[in-house]
Amino acid sequence: MNLITIAMFAAILLISLGITAWAARRTRTTVDFYAAGKGLTAAQNGFALAGDWCSAAAFLGFTGLTALYGMDGALYAVGPLVAFCTVLLLIAEPLRNTGTYTIGDVIMYRMRQPPALAAAIVGTIVINLAYLVPQMAGAGVLIKLMFGIRYDVSVMLVGLGMIIYVAAGGMLATSWVQIIKAILMLGAGAIILFLALAGVGFDPLVLFASAEAKAGPNFLLPGNFLKNPFDEVSLGLGYMLGLAGLPHVMIRFYTVPDATTARRSVIWVMFLAGAFFACTTIFGLAAVHYLGPDALRVGNPGGNLTLPILAQYLGGGKDTVGGQLMLGFVSAVAVATILAVVAGLTLATSGAVANDLYVNLFRKGKVEEHQQVLVARITAVLVGIVATLLGIVAEGVNVAVLVILAICIAASANFPVLVLSLFWRRFNTGGVVGGMALGLVSSVGLALIGPAYLGANAIWPLVNPTVVALPLGILGAVFGSLLAGRNHEHEKRFSEVTFRIQTGLRSNHP
Amino acid sequence: MGDAVKLNGAEGAPDAWIEGVESPEFKTLIDAKQRSIVPMIVIYMIGYMGLSVLAGFGRGILGTKVLGAVNLGFVLIAGNYVMSWVLAIVYARISANRHDPLVKVVVDKARASGSAR
Repeated sequence: MNLITIAMFAAILLISLGITAWAARRTRTTVDFYAAGKGLTAAQNGFALAGDWCSAAAFLGFTGLTALYGMDGALYAVGPLVAFCTVLLLIAEPLRNTGTYTIGDVIMYRMRQPPALAAAIVGTIVINLAYLVPQMAGAGVLIKLMFGIRYDVSVMLVGLGMIIYVAAGGMLATSWVQIIKAILMLGAGAIILFLALAGVGFDPLVLFASAEAKAGPNFLLPGNFLKNPFDEVSLGLGYMLGLAGLPHVMIRFYTVPDATTARRSVIWVMFLAGAFFACTTIFGLAAVHYLGPDALRVGNPGGNLTLPILAQYLGGGKDTVGGQLMLGFVSAVAVATILAVVAGLTLATSGAVANDLYVNLFRKGKVEEHQQVLVARITAVLVGIVATLLGIVAEGVNVAVLVILAICIAASANFPVLVLSLFWRRFNTGGVVGGMALGLVSSVGLALIGPAYLGANAIWPLVNPTVVALPLGILGAVFGSLLAGRNHEHEKRFSEVTFRIQTGLRSNHP
Repeated sequence: MGDAVKLNGAEGAPDAWIEGVESPEFKTLIDAKQRSIVPMIVIYMIGYMGLSVLAGFGRGILGTKVLGAVNLGFVLIAGNYVMSWVLAIVYARISANRHDPLVKVVVDKARASGSAR
């Protein structure tokens, strides 16, 4: 625990609160609150996407997995980049052209029926909470380890931070918190990469050879972390299709003025985040090379402290100013990372509750503008409090299952429903409900009876059930549509939907 | 005002949109998009799921040494990074140079006929 960490963290906190105060004065309408006035540039949204998508699991986790388990860590790191291919080619532009603030908007625009919107709301809330609670719990553990603050107090501090950002500054503050976090994260990554490679004459091949020599001949093979071969397939499927179903990342495409900008922001994030993911593999191997595999397992649960420990070593070691400086920097960035991600999740959940559930489902859209903003702010506070309480309760519970679950539900329930809504003429409300229900139930059910939750007593062999839940979600969506029967008016209107997906034009017929 | 309300007005006249969707300009746009997007989807899905399946069932194959300690698995992982970045650049180019001008034609025509804003 050192003063440098506290100083750096205080600086980040002050800057982000300053931004929130600035953003709060510019957040008056619903477009401001949910979509930052739709005024972000491609580069700004690209950095914010990087800040939103790289959770602590990416910043700390991938390095730790590579250091402890070799190639599986590298497989974990490349997936989140390939995931953006799906977003770029299929989702980003159509989503920007059809929705306003939420994924529920897209489903409601296509289906026009309350049960479809209700299904979309359930999907968004379950995914966001499953993603949010482990982030809160992870923040508690991390801050407790780094600053020595009690777990429950740590979680409450993070909860307070995200509530202030979101309730006061809306999407504008959330976006800038994410942009700053992305810059800090990439800066930290660049420094660590330089120092790590400088020690081996800038020849990464040395790191591979050294890691294999120190950690054993199987270290560079797959399967050290994911023992069941089907889990490797599930990991790939979940990443490839799950990102496109994660509401807190997808709503970022509403912050830009048009589909072209949305597309260009994906290109930005693919290079920014992708470069960082690639670096985590180098960091993991460097940790084995410099520190040795045995030292890494001491007081390092799940490998999450590997990156801070490596940074301290590369800065000069435990008792040097350089080492303290690097450790402080990386620790402060880790906390900033968590804050940026939980802020995005809180905002996305508030959108599903305030915009989708209250305004569009209960009140059929008949709510005054200023009242909508007020409801959204109050909802953000409530969502923040619920997430904080769940985070405190989750202490000691195995929360890893929840992260897997969030991505699995996003891939198995949200993704099929979203894609079929955008591209299949026969898709209807029955399909939305069927796909969401079967995708959700099979994901949750199989995850809960699997080894991530039941350990050695597992009834079901896979940690990540996407390989089964995704086909079931698609089947539910297709059969739900067929069972609901044909509605020619509805199918006819798909022409309008297609036209808007491709052009962004809205009808102004009376 | 919610999105659902704003859009209810369009329900009366879906025929105008069918006209727009069936126009030759719109068909040209969809054809151009499908010709470039579908092959790209096939490429990255095979490239990435191929790697994931091999990671599960082809441990020996991925363990084949290629360059010093680096094995085929790490080469394919690096290949997936390169593949994603190349696809991003290619798609950005194609959509800016070929798709966007076609979208503009469709939009201009719809605006001129007054059926959209």
